[in-house]
Amino acid sequence: MDSKLANTWRLTVNEKNFIKTALLSEIRIDGRKPFEFRNIIINFGSEDGLAEVQLGQTRVMGIVTAKLVQPYQDRPNEGILTIYTEFSPMADLSFETGRPGESAVELGRIVDRGLRESRAVDTESLCIVSGKLVWGIRIDLHILDNGGNLVDAANIAALAALMTFRRPECSLGGEDGQEVIIHPPEMMEPLPLIVHHLPIAITFGFFIDESIVVIDPTHNEEAVMAGRMIAIVNANGDICAIQKAGGEGVSQSVIIQCLQLAITMAAGITKQIKEAVEAYNSERALQKIKREPSCGGNNIKESQNQSIDNKGIEVAGQYMERLKLVSRESCISQSNDDEVDSKLSALRRGTDGNGINFTRGPLSWDPYSKGVDPEFLKASLASQGLSTRNKKQGSSGEEKPGEAEGEEPYRDANPKSSAVDASETEMQTKGQKTLKDAVKPKNKRKKKGSSMI
Amino acid sequence: MEYVSPEGLRLDGRRPMEMRQIRAEIGTVARADGSAVFEMGNTKVIAAVYGPREVQNRSQQISDQALVRCEYSMANFSTGDRRRKPKGDRRSTEISLVIRQTMEACILTHLMPRSQIDIFVQVLQADGGTRSACINAATLALADAGIPMRDIVTSCSAGYLNSTPLLDLNYIEDSAGGPDVTVGILPKLDKVTLLQMDAKLPLDIFENVMGLATEGCKAVANYIREVLLENTKQLEYRRGL
Amino acid sequence: MRGLQLPLNQTQRIRLQRALEKLHSLSSKANSDASVTVADTIPVNYDDAFLKGHGTTDLNGELVATVCGVVERVNKLVYVRALRAKYKPEVGDIVVGRVVEVAQKRWRLEINFSQDAVLMLSSMNMPDGIQRRRTALDELNMRSIFEENDVVCAEVRNFHHDGSLQLQARSQKYGKLEKGQLLVVDPFLVKKSKQHFHYLEQFGIDLILGRNGFIWVGEHVEARDGMIVDQANNSEQSTVEKDQAYTPLEMRQNICRIANAVRVLSTLGFNVDADLIIETAELSSSLNIDIHDMLGSEFHVLVAEREAERRSLMTKRKR
Repeated sequence: MDSKLANTWRLTVNEKNFIKTALLSEIRIDGRKPFEFRNIIINFGSEDGLAEVQLGQTRVMGIVTAKLVQPYQDRPNEGILTIYTEFSPMADLSFETGRPGESAVELGRIVDRGLRESRAVDTESLCIVSGKLVWGIRIDLHILDNGGNLVDAANIAALAALMTFRRPECSLGGEDGQEVIIHPPEMMEPLPLIVHHLPIAITFGFFIDESIVVIDPTHNEEAVMAGRMIAIVNANGDICAIQKAGGEGVSQSVIIQCLQLAITMAAGITKQIKEAVEAYNSERALQKIKREPSCGGNNIKESQNQSIDNKGIEVAGQYMERLKLVSRESCISQSNDDEVDSKLSALRRGTDGNGINFTRGPLSWDPYSKGVDPEFLKASLASQGLSTRNKKQGSSGEEKPGEAEGEEPYRDANPKSSAVDASETEMQTKGQKTLKDAVKPKNKRKKKGSSMI
Repeated sequence: MEYVSPEGLRLDGRRPMEMRQIRAEIGTVARADGSAVFEMGNTKVIAAVYGPREVQNRSQQISDQALVRCEYSMANFSTGDRRRKPKGDRRSTEISLVIRQTMEACILTHLMPRSQIDIFVQVLQADGGTRSACINAATLALADAGIPMRDIVTSCSAGYLNSTPLLDLNYIEDSAGGPDVTVGILPKLDKVTLLQMDAKLPLDIFENVMGLATEGCKAVANYIREVLLENTKQLEYRRGL
Repeated sequence: MRGLQLPLNQTQRIRLQRALEKLHSLSSKANSDASVTVADTIPVNYDDAFLKGHGTTDLNGELVATVCGVVERVNKLVYVRALRAKYKPEVGDIVVGRVVEVAQKRWRLEINFSQDAVLMLSSMNMPDGIQRRRTALDELNMRSIFEENDVVCAEVRNFHHDGSLQLQARSQKYGKLEKGQLLVVDPFLVKKSKQHFHYLEQFGIDLILGRNGFIWVGEHVEARDGMIVDQANNSEQSTVEKDQAYTPLEMRQNICRIANAVRVLSTLGFNVDADLIIETAELSSSLNIDIHDMLGSEFHVLVAEREAERRSLMTKRKR
């Protein structure tokens, strides 16, 4: 109710009438046709499981994290999937801080229904010890800007984040075979979630005159519309969920027509999401391969790293602000030896011990975010010395995720720039190695090479 | 688990297209302006309507229409295990929103500007189909309170188990994990105002199930109309001339 | 049912049933045919010109009811009289209300309506009876006239632009009501009549039937004439008297008896008008029923039977 009222307050009577009259002639105020979706732009973040979606003016960010939890009593063999929504007043003045309002709860439940009840995410594969320990996947949806139609954008963000999320591999071991060992990502490649199909949410807006139906209403149209229906369909023609919570009554035939339309549109959006995820995955793989020969392994320091990495797994995918704090703290807390090794291992898999990826994107102190002259970098690194290096890496790590979230859509980043990035960080690692343990890494390198390939 | 036996009987002995027994009673909450109890099989719901009355929170007053508020809660004893939090959890918030928007669509709010209508619905016994029972009870309570409405709203749920569309699911059938379609219609206008579905269904089967639920809604509408008419006649003849 | 929540034994149940059935049979058939529920089509001859009144709306060219009630036709006006609705005010109605707020230059009263009614300070007589402009001092002294939760009797003056009511209490018979009981019944049970103020002499009780369903039963207060010269002295004396006045037990019992009679009638759903109330009260005293027993099941059944008889007599007389 609050957001609906707030919407109506912001529009004058003239504007509302204009929107309504224009719709009678099938004209929408942003120039679209009634059944046209806005442009969807999907950006991925610095670590796995972070996606930001732009749908016209609407921006939503989805973050996926995983934790070991106890399963529900009535479903001991299945993992748990929970969705949290965050409607901050930053997105829209009508949102209030604190307890989620009605619309926030509704959005969370709609996305939840689409993902969970339709079994889009395979929860049985998340079971580790039946009845005792399962993976709890938590999806956080942050609304950054409300330009209308939050549900569709949030749904796409959730799907993109889920598809790029990687959970650590774990196995049973220990004396009684009940102890769970989580393998750090550099030991064993983290696994993606099994997603059977992609349920896409499509919102229809109904107006007082029944013949007017629009897809993907903007903020202004939402203030004028009399009812809305959210259809969650997948590309196979299945309907996963429908939410039409009251509002203007429509005839059954209109509903069936809308559903058919939704199915056709879902195919296009599914393709777009899959392409974006593919691009992200291939880049990620590219990063990994480049890292392979240059970095050393850390088999000896495994146990210590494991503790750090466990923390890292939990921390992975949290908000930017917290990342900054954690990185600072952990930078300081780690011992000198460990930190270099952990940094090395992090570099190898593209993130540091705390999940900050600072291999992506150019260094932040460069105003032209195109790339860095490798020669210049080498010189500057050599001059700065060890003590400041961590801080710099930490700070650059913080800012890089910020950059990654920036204007440029990530999948547009060409391999060239990433190659430059890879090379420059290779420089960094080589720089470190020449100053630190020059002999030890060689052994690790050989072992690492065999295990990774 | 078999939800429909080979002879075509469900777990409680009904046929797939058969609804549970409905019972409605008006005027159960004496203090309220309008109230009703609605039972669908073992699901029992009580609704109370207060209004139209002066808006309690002046800042929320709407100058040209009535403010409709709705609160849905489940009694602690309504389900098998005692519920710890009857209201305020996310499911209750969503259902409150759904009921409010559904009833708002049919109340002629512009006839009562600057006033407030409160709808309180509480589930006393939950055995599947609580949402539908709540909407039916709310409709009865609003009509009892004499609040002008465009049309009554009736609601019914349907599902699809063992390749058969089933009408009016009870709790066991509902928790089977199959699709659950809840439909709310305006019977006179023959328009769908509430439509909720979860779990996967192909479009053609969905059409069948939705059609079945709509038929159920129409049956409920007939019953509600009878009850209201009876009540009106009774009030009238008692009052005399 | 909202009415009878009383335990009835077998015979009482049967007697009540019979009485109600009798009433049913007596009620005019036309009325029961004209009952409609929400969204029922109203049978109208669409060729004739007719006016759509309250409780109706146009749906796809058909005339449809929006409330549950009885269709009434007056000349060309077709409307639906809702039964259990909120009070429908008309200008000139007598209403009894309860003060909920003392605002700037006005009081807000709760009457059984969708919004609170407004009683302006200028529509109220000053305690000293002089007709004058209301000064700022008067405004500050508003609380000495009416406070929150006081019961006030007033008349509907007109409607505000936003739909709320404006009341006036200029005459002596209006004003604060004390020494009595306020009862709430459904508005549709109080019919519009010529007289809403009843002085029941045999009991010494004032009975005010507010059209909004608020009924006042209280000790009889002589209406003071506001034109007496030494008004100042009088008002002093009367306030002193009021503080010291003691209502005798018999008077209180009478008030309770009448109030219970009203309660019984409203529970059974019968019309609440002065004659009926008096009859009911007399019935109870003639049968020597204790006042609190009046709210028991036996008396309810008796009243129902009595009403059935009364109405059958009336219809016979009509024929």
